[in-house]
Amino acid sequence: MKFSKLLLIALSISLFASCSSDDNDDPKGAYDNGFFILNEGSSDVGSVSFSSDDFTSFTKDVYASANGSDLIGGYLQNIFFDGDRAYIISGGSNVINVVNRYTFKLIAKIDSGLANPRYGVVKDGKAYVTNANTYSYINPATGDTDDYVAVINLATNTVESKIELNATANRLILENGKLYITEPNSSTKLLIVNIATKAIETVEIGSSGDSIEEENGTLFILRAPYSGSGEIVKVKLSDKSISRIAFPESLAGLGFMDIEDNKIYYTAGSSVYAMDINATTPSTTAIVNSPASYVYGFAVENNRIYIADAKFDKDSKAFIYNLSGVLQKELAVGVGSNGFYFNN
Amino acid sequence: MTIKRFFTFCLFVMCQIILAQNDSITSLKEVLVSDKNLKAYSASQSVLKLNDSIINKNEALLTDLLNFNSTLYFKEYGRGMLSTVSFRGTTSSQTAVIWNGININSQMNGSTDFNTISGADYNSISVKAGGGSVIYGSGAVGGTVHLNNDLLFFNRFENNLRLDYGSFNTIGVNYKTSISNKKWSAQIGLSKNSSTNDYKYLNRYTWRGEQRWNQNGQYDIITLSANAGYKFNENHILKLYSQTSNTDRNTSLITETETKSKYINCFNRNLLEYDGTYGKIKTNFKTAYIFENYQYFANNALKNYTYGKTENLITKLDVDYHLFKSTHINGIADYSRTNGYGTSFGSHIREISSAALLVRQDFGTNWKNELGIRKEFTNNYKSPILFNLGSSYKFNDWYNLKLNVSRNFRIPTYNDLYWDEGGNPNLKPESSYQGEIGNVFTFKNLTWTQNFYYMKITDMLQWVPGTNGIWTPQNQDKVISYGTETLLGWKKSYGKNIFAVNATYAYTVSQDEKTKNQIFFVPFNKATGAVSYSRDKISAYYQILYNGFVYTRADNDPDEIINDYTVSNIGIDYDLKFLDSFKVGFQVLNLFNKDYESLENRPMPGRNFNVYLTLKF
Repeated sequence: MKFSKLLLIALSISLFASCSSDDNDDPKGAYDNGFFILNEGSSDVGSVSFSSDDFTSFTKDVYASANGSDLIGGYLQNIFFDGDRAYIISGGSNVINVVNRYTFKLIAKIDSGLANPRYGVVKDGKAYVTNANTYSYINPATGDTDDYVAVINLATNTVESKIELNATANRLILENGKLYITEPNSSTKLLIVNIATKAIETVEIGSSGDSIEEENGTLFILRAPYSGSGEIVKVKLSDKSISRIAFPESLAGLGFMDIEDNKIYYTAGSSVYAMDINATTPSTTAIVNSPASYVYGFAVENNRIYIADAKFDKDSKAFIYNLSGVLQKELAVGVGSNGFYFNN
Repeated sequence: MTIKRFFTFCLFVMCQIILAQNDSITSLKEVLVSDKNLKAYSASQSVLKLNDSIINKNEALLTDLLNFNSTLYFKEYGRGMLSTVSFRGTTSSQTAVIWNGININSQMNGSTDFNTISGADYNSISVKAGGGSVIYGSGAVGGTVHLNNDLLFFNRFENNLRLDYGSFNTIGVNYKTSISNKKWSAQIGLSKNSSTNDYKYLNRYTWRGEQRWNQNGQYDIITLSANAGYKFNENHILKLYSQTSNTDRNTSLITETETKSKYINCFNRNLLEYDGTYGKIKTNFKTAYIFENYQYFANNALKNYTYGKTENLITKLDVDYHLFKSTHINGIADYSRTNGYGTSFGSHIREISSAALLVRQDFGTNWKNELGIRKEFTNNYKSPILFNLGSSYKFNDWYNLKLNVSRNFRIPTYNDLYWDEGGNPNLKPESSYQGEIGNVFTFKNLTWTQNFYYMKITDMLQWVPGTNGIWTPQNQDKVISYGTETLLGWKKSYGKNIFAVNATYAYTVSQDEKTKNQIFFVPFNKATGAVSYSRDKISAYYQILYNGFVYTRADNDPDEIINDYTVSNIGIDYDLKFLDSFKVGFQVLNLFNKDYESLENRPMPGRNFNVYLTLKF
């Protein structure tokens, strides 16, 4: 009797335990297990759309649904994550909105020390955000030398210091304690910033260097000029040696690059191409020919290809394909869609 | 739904008419109008004239005057900020603004910002609906807005001074002096309108819970005008019009943390005009120099700016030949040379010549016909042949029927052609075919105008991203607009009591021919009403504006709209009968404290106040 009671307790504990371990896979909020589409906006503020991975749940304006009339800001540029939080960068409003990544409820705004913030990465409780500051067409004297990295303390949500770059800065990645920064419009260099010493090195890569990825100790940078042919510049992290994969002129209108599962995916016009990570010549056979008229955002994740077709006077479109190029879903998203961010 | 709404509105207007009355404006003196063709060639179209008594009842800037008194729809980037117009469902560059007969739309962007112009600088402002490119050139598609200074030749020395002080530190100083005799006439004016414009946004708070307000919205607009005329004799008259203005304006923020920026716009307009009559031939020779300049400071903290500048020289000869009793023929030749330079489009010279032939025929006073044809010659773009054909027939005392068909255009601007990067030198002008029927009913104290129009605009210029990501303008969409306009005026005096009512209503469908969607930022419905009462020294007035909802997106997403709004103003003034006239007035604007905006996240002020003094001596 006593033993059986004990058994029952033991059983119920184990049942409880298994239940609680199941709980860990349950969604942590309405916006878990899906992806965000960032919409930069036009004359009005931007927005963030969400779709679940299985496309059963879709919200066009997540921020407004969660935060009512609060304004997310203009020209939304990038989202980065840390723990349970998402950080939405508004370049037009010089603001980073800090929200819970699963509920999108506003937690705080980082609203001083930023000047046209662009992209951010996180390491050890600190965020590193590139700031374009002034542009040379407005400020010829220092527009091309005043960009900086804002170092943000994520415990207090304040900019605690700045790393002056004496160059222009846009996209960045963080690898082994160093920031690797590209900027396509005014720079011909890759910037390397040691976040501990704040020492800056530069590597000459050529103009129009934009998308940047790191795989197996090598940086891959897509140079996508407005006209003429582009290339992928490979930079070895160990010795900063450079090799190049030239693109033929037939791949006009190069846009974005993403690396996933040892394959390099890139866009040219409204098409997507893929090549092996070790290949020395690019593929000219499209795996996706999308109906997009203006590819403004691109990602490859979990065996899917995501394309944003940006419109500025109406809903943009997001097209999601499988890796064989079969359309899985078309979504009507906000104005000026420019990126995809995965929340799993 | 919309039809229902229309009838409800009619009912509302009719009620008002039964309730209300009029203001007597009679000028017995000889007036020399600057824009003769506005009178001579508008018999078959509808012209709404706003004289100084209406101008004085409105806020200083032109947006406000036209918003509350005409069918024109405005989109404002906050109070006093950039303001763009839509007339009969067209774009802001398809309404031409005509200063004393000369088209002053910007050569750079094709449009006029109605918050850079103050109404009190003119003797009258007329709104002419429908096409007018044959006479007024580019942009006269939806209609034209005429800013006129009239010169009077009789003995007088008159000074007008108006001082305004209102909420948000809004200050207005308007001074005008008119000196004339039988030979000479001169008018000198100065206006200055400024505001710190730091109004609270009704019911809006930041995430920290602080009241939101209009930041970086200050403006200051100064205009100097000098006009003079000399009569050699009845047959030879020389006139000179000159105006300089400077608009120094910050750009109101959407969010508090944005980088603050500002614009400075500067204009200088000069027009020399000679009228000579030689028997059956009347000549009018005009030469004008128009200078326009803007400076944009993307960051107020820096001294740096980008700029654009155009200098436009126009010469125009208009010969009117009185062919026989009922028929006049006008031949017009003109030449315009624009020199434009700026940070974004380099330096370019544009020369345009044109020839036009106008015929008007009056069979008695009841039947008037007009015909016009015009062709431009330039190597910048291919120019279509423009025409205008109209007829007005007065069936009886109370009914006048007007018919008009025309072809009009809007030429590509400096930005469209030369913007670096993206400007497209191979553009065609936007062009339109349109037709309208106007009905004017006059009963005793009431005039009722009912217009119906249909318009097809092709080759709409639109900036679209190219395959390489560079935005570039293309001639692509076609737009069909149709609708109706109602203009009502009623005026009556009962002994010393004078009542006046004016109302307008516009029903506008403007759709993309391909998608059938309503063009965004074109309201289906807009209505205005004004009631005034005066007795002896007192006059009081009430104005109401109803603006129907607008879509903000080309796909007519029902969730993305600007809600409709109804805004009212009320005012009263009292003449202390000191000097010729010494009026003290008080106005309550947005009487019912309506929270509204005409663009997303650009709230307009709640209830606010204005006091004024008007002196005549």
